[in-house]
Amino acid sequence: MTMPEPLQKAFAGLRVADFAWVGVGPTVSKYLADHGAEVIRVESNTYPEALRRVGPFPGDIPGVDSSGYYANFNSSKLGISLNLKHPRGPELARRLVEQCDVVTESFTPGTMARFGLDYESLRAVRPDLVMISMPLYGQTGPWASYMGYGHVLQAASGFNHLTGWPDGAPIGTGIAYTDFLVPHMGAIGLLAALDYRRRTGQGQYIDFSQFEAAVHGLETAVLDWTANGHEQARMGNRDPEAAPHGCYRCKDGKWLVIACFTEEQWVALKAALGRPDWCDLERMRRRWQRQAEQHEIDRHLGFWVEDITRRPDEPAQSRHETAEGVTIVRYTSYELMRYLQSFGVPAGVVQSPEDLHRDPQLAHRGHYWKLEHPVMGLRTYDAPAFRLSRTPGELTKAAPCLGESNEYVYRQVMGLGEDEFVELLADGAFE
Amino acid sequence: MSQAPPVPLPHPTGPLAGYRVLDFADEKGQLCARLLGELGADVVKVEPREGDRTRQNGPHFRGDQGPESSLYWWAMNAGKRSVTCELRLEAGRALMHRLAAHADVVVETNAPGQAAPLGLDYATLSAVNPGLVVVSITNWGQTGPYRDMLATDLVAVAMGGHMHLNGDEEHGPVRTLAPQAYAQVNLQAAVGALIAVYARGANSGAGQHVDVSMQEAVANAMDNAQATWDIRHVNLSGPGLRRNNTGLPTPKYLYEARDGWVACLAVGGLVGPGSGAIVDWLAATGEDGGLDTPEWRARLVELRPLDDDERSKLEDVLAAFCRIRLKEDLVEEAQRRNAGWAPVFGPSEVVESKHLAARDYWVRVVHEDIGESFVYPGAPWKLGLTPWQQRGRAPHLGEHNEQVYGDLLGMDAAELRRLRMRMVL
Repeated sequence: MTMPEPLQKAFAGLRVADFAWVGVGPTVSKYLADHGAEVIRVESNTYPEALRRVGPFPGDIPGVDSSGYYANFNSSKLGISLNLKHPRGPELARRLVEQCDVVTESFTPGTMARFGLDYESLRAVRPDLVMISMPLYGQTGPWASYMGYGHVLQAASGFNHLTGWPDGAPIGTGIAYTDFLVPHMGAIGLLAALDYRRRTGQGQYIDFSQFEAAVHGLETAVLDWTANGHEQARMGNRDPEAAPHGCYRCKDGKWLVIACFTEEQWVALKAALGRPDWCDLERMRRRWQRQAEQHEIDRHLGFWVEDITRRPDEPAQSRHETAEGVTIVRYTSYELMRYLQSFGVPAGVVQSPEDLHRDPQLAHRGHYWKLEHPVMGLRTYDAPAFRLSRTPGELTKAAPCLGESNEYVYRQVMGLGEDEFVELLADGAFE
Repeated sequence: MSQAPPVPLPHPTGPLAGYRVLDFADEKGQLCARLLGELGADVVKVEPREGDRTRQNGPHFRGDQGPESSLYWWAMNAGKRSVTCELRLEAGRALMHRLAAHADVVVETNAPGQAAPLGLDYATLSAVNPGLVVVSITNWGQTGPYRDMLATDLVAVAMGGHMHLNGDEEHGPVRTLAPQAYAQVNLQAAVGALIAVYARGANSGAGQHVDVSMQEAVANAMDNAQATWDIRHVNLSGPGLRRNNTGLPTPKYLYEARDGWVACLAVGGLVGPGSGAIVDWLAATGEDGGLDTPEWRARLVELRPLDDDERSKLEDVLAAFCRIRLKEDLVEEAQRRNAGWAPVFGPSEVVESKHLAARDYWVRVVHEDIGESFVYPGAPWKLGLTPWQQRGRAPHLGEHNEQVYGDLLGMDAAELRRLRMRMVL
């Protein structure tokens, strides 16, 4: 056996001018950066990228180079500052694009065109350019100019309606959810176009609407309406295809989820429970019957989970004064997950961000990277969810400070002379 | 690069035209394969003789429980071709390896260790076709302490941390009914697949193995919660009608309108530099609740966070204002005033959206087998040169056996009949 030759990084030699901002755009270009592309964030001090203004900040002290939010989505990238409103700003941007293979942007439609940076203009300087625009609602239509973030887009695209309790408000996820769903879709379209360019030499423009991408995350909710006339709605943690399907509080303060879709899983759960009488009742026999008994099943499971778990300071085993004098084992939430899994029951702990940082599986996969940042120090970054066996992703550096790569990009990539660079700097073009 | 013959479909228009994908996936990978198909790849869904398990997934068309009426199957497998192949038989594996020689990407979702007995492990497939990109999507990844644990969507949104961010204090964590661990892992797997496909260009056509973890895909959907723990050591958790923000208090962003709900960040824009325009709006109808004063206006543009009393004052004013108005009227006027509001839409309202109609978003997919057609979600990307294309309804079980095995492998009717009798097809 010979070891396979080391391979070139997937995007070695590819250069990206990244005008996008907030959550979606930077996540798309992070994929490229973490797999070998030279991604250049184009930002301005005159209107700093929104994520730079949102924390968390070390020591709770805000600063354009201190946002952990910004940092996590901008690993492996370079960063320049460029004031597009400076008289020579747009020209400099076009000169940068001339040296790039890809342009990404997520401004309100029309913004790039106002600076002469729309696809047609840029194609004139770089004919094989692949460009993706990714605002909330796309380039056209009555909502094209509408503003918002992932919080409100999750509302418009159906996620709030489908998240919460049946008798309660459409609370949605607690985060700007679509900002962390649609960038993957954006990347798929961009990568497909890039591969087409690799094979044919032809670039193209992609009008990407976050709204339209998000709708693909609704699984059957659209077809259930258009084919069946059935409007799906939030139902807490229940699922129309499974019973039980719920979330139960453990004594150690954590929550445990249990899901039984198949007969096999239900039989396994019964064994794990020790076959109490209630689960062998006739009305619990088939899934469609259990579906109607979910309230009762949840009540039993709720009691059982609470009873069989222990506070961290309680002993794992205790001898109980029962007629048989049996030893009762009590579990932490994680031990109970393992106990249920050993029977073949899908179960898991609702892990907090802290738990994820300690999760042995994510640690095994090396999900979190520690990268040293000149202002923020050693910080934790997320890696992609996949490991490529021969061209693995690599987070090569911490997020860029605003304008940290100015000298390299303006002088070496774009070829500005020293005098011109200093003159533009003095004149505020790099603000 | 692939040596595969040209794709026989009549409309190879997308950027991935010329590629072929073999889809052995369950809920974790069917959308991934479908998206590659809509971008131009020929996607062949390979099913066991009794049909893919997910053909049983509900909801079903008009409640009919048959294997051809699962709306889940329709949604996730539209535009694919279906062949049957019994991978538990030697002859079935041999047949599939012949097909794999004509493929560029394999998407499989077997649990770790269970692909090899079916001949779908990377070592076996890469020996057949060194240029193949094999995407293995599992609950936790191919190796590691949790590798053998079971998971469903619910388990993955819990163990990946996302569920911790949703819900409220009273009821605890909550999931989204439309399974988001599945959505996340499908999309992220497709990204990994395409990076590996692209990498073939720089590396003389060498394929590779893409090991995707559903838990890890969910862990990437945590907003700034990971960084907030890393930096502030605060665990974000279900905020109800509010939103998580690095552990700092936020005002409610959801308000009840006369006909539903509206989502409006920062109490509708009453906080921050644009707040004046919203106070103007409230004042114009006499519903500013006392906010139309120089002191309040100055306070609302300050950076200093609101205290509890100030926050509930704003929330009360906005709640009263919204309650008597229609959600789409509210959104239209708020947007005119540069505030990022949106209506809370259910699936039917998404389908009826005037904006999506104006962009000609929806596609109508013909189900000629039952003499009807239905509206499906349309292009996630409008590609200027190589358009996205919906390629028709989901396939019946084994619908394309003759086409695929005949055209690609040159098998004739007699040979297919023999395979059928040997229970391979």
